[in-house]
Amino acid sequence: MTQDSKLAQAIEKGAFIVTAELLPHATAELTVIEKVFGVLKDGPIAVNVADNPHGPVLSSLVGSVALIRENIEPIYQLVTRDRNRIALQSDLLGAAYLGIRNVLCLSGYHQTLTTSFEAGNSFDIDSIQLIAAIKKMNEQGVLLDGNRIEGRFSMLIGAVANPYLAPLELNILRVTKKVAGGARFIQTQAVFDTERFQQWLEAAREEGITEKVAILAGVRPLESVGEAEKLRDTLTDLSIPEQVIERLKAAGDEKAQKKEGLAICREVIKKIRGMKGLRGIHILSGGKESVLPELMVATK
Amino acid sequence: MIVAERKTIPELIEILKGQKKVLVLGCGTCVTVCLAGGEREVSIISSALRIASRLAGFSLQIEELTIERQCDNVFIEKAAEAIERNDAVLSLGCGAGVQAIAERYPAKPVYAGLNTAFLGILEERAVWTEKCVACGACVLHEYGGICPITRCAKHMLNGPCGGSREDRCEVLPDRPCAWQLIYQRLKGIGQLDRLKQIKPPKNWNASIHGGLRVIVREDHRI
Repeated sequence: MTQDSKLAQAIEKGAFIVTAELLPHATAELTVIEKVFGVLKDGPIAVNVADNPHGPVLSSLVGSVALIRENIEPIYQLVTRDRNRIALQSDLLGAAYLGIRNVLCLSGYHQTLTTSFEAGNSFDIDSIQLIAAIKKMNEQGVLLDGNRIEGRFSMLIGAVANPYLAPLELNILRVTKKVAGGARFIQTQAVFDTERFQQWLEAAREEGITEKVAILAGVRPLESVGEAEKLRDTLTDLSIPEQVIERLKAAGDEKAQKKEGLAICREVIKKIRGMKGLRGIHILSGGKESVLPELMVATK
Repeated sequence: MIVAERKTIPELIEILKGQKKVLVLGCGTCVTVCLAGGEREVSIISSALRIASRLAGFSLQIEELTIERQCDNVFIEKAAEAIERNDAVLSLGCGAGVQAIAERYPAKPVYAGLNTAFLGILEERAVWTEKCVACGACVLHEYGGICPITRCAKHMLNGPCGGSREDRCEVLPDRPCAWQLIYQRLKGIGQLDRLKQIKPPKNWNASIHGGLRVIVREDHRI
């Protein structure tokens, strides 16, 4: 099925794609998040809206709609941690009704790693099953329970890959399943070690993955040594090499560290943007959307 | 086996406040093996409760008894007289044992002295780990004998999450990622192909999500 999002069209055309992210706040007021709309409007083709990554915040569905109202195309993130298959499919129908055309499927950080660590979880289906379920909704107009969707449903499906997940054979096996399930684009976790990223990309290319989906490499500007160490120690999906932390330390005070973090990120973008099989960059600003313009420049 | 651990003495004092004569009832099967509710623990907990209740201003009279199995009426019968002559029962059985006693003695308060934790095995001396969530529809044959539902914190059925590391789980730093184990095991036995198919969403009806589970063996009811 042809999809009508700008992102889908860019994938189709073979354009170099840049996406960014919006981390919603714990707020019910649009004024809190609209401050960042200006920078999001200028550059990225679409913007991910995170689904409660570290605890309860404004829903990614509502955040996505807020972006649509500003003429910014959202990539609606959906984690399987908090919703069972009933709620996931219901929200997807709602999302399509509200004009959302891109969805990124994730399992999400386990709730014990969020601020709501006492919460129960759902994990009724996993991210690959969610991808396959949406493909079925797209292509057959059918829900997991076999019921038909009345009218049209179309959603461009995205998935996440961690280039540093070892061993490589298991990593590629997992990505292959996401592609077979129906993913059309893949956004990766933040790249710092560009050599290992290249090995992963090469392995994905050999498997024919880069032919079938658009791989967008995640990049993340680190703000300080403290932030880098915290991320390294708390999030196992992020691989931040010691040399990166050493570089931040050597930079000096906090202001200098922030500048160095941005410089490292720009260097990563420049090193990887021309890699064979890479279709774009996904800028993970980690809630600091104001850094976007400076990083956008490096993608060109 | 069923693995449980003892509630703390302050918790038990809070639960037993206002009682006079209490039977501390142990169980000789799973909870004895996991050092939570056997004869030895009945003795230790009873002594601690005698002292602690005195300090809390109410002196408990405690009788001690351990039966072979609390989840079976045949064995509960052996505690009948002791249960009758006490005001309440503090069961050191698992959740099934506590409820079996409560059902048998509707007029008698029965309290749980343990927190029933999981179905697991003794991994090393005095360390038990969970191996089964009793989901009611076993998939172990598909995963090389390693359960992704029990041992993967996200119950992933199609591969590891992005936070998997070769030496640890995203959630528990001191535990291996179940998916790394599944991968190594299936590779080792030449069944890696099993991981290549997309496993459909699980039917959770046979698990706790489907409501109370009852097994009826018609062929044995005659």
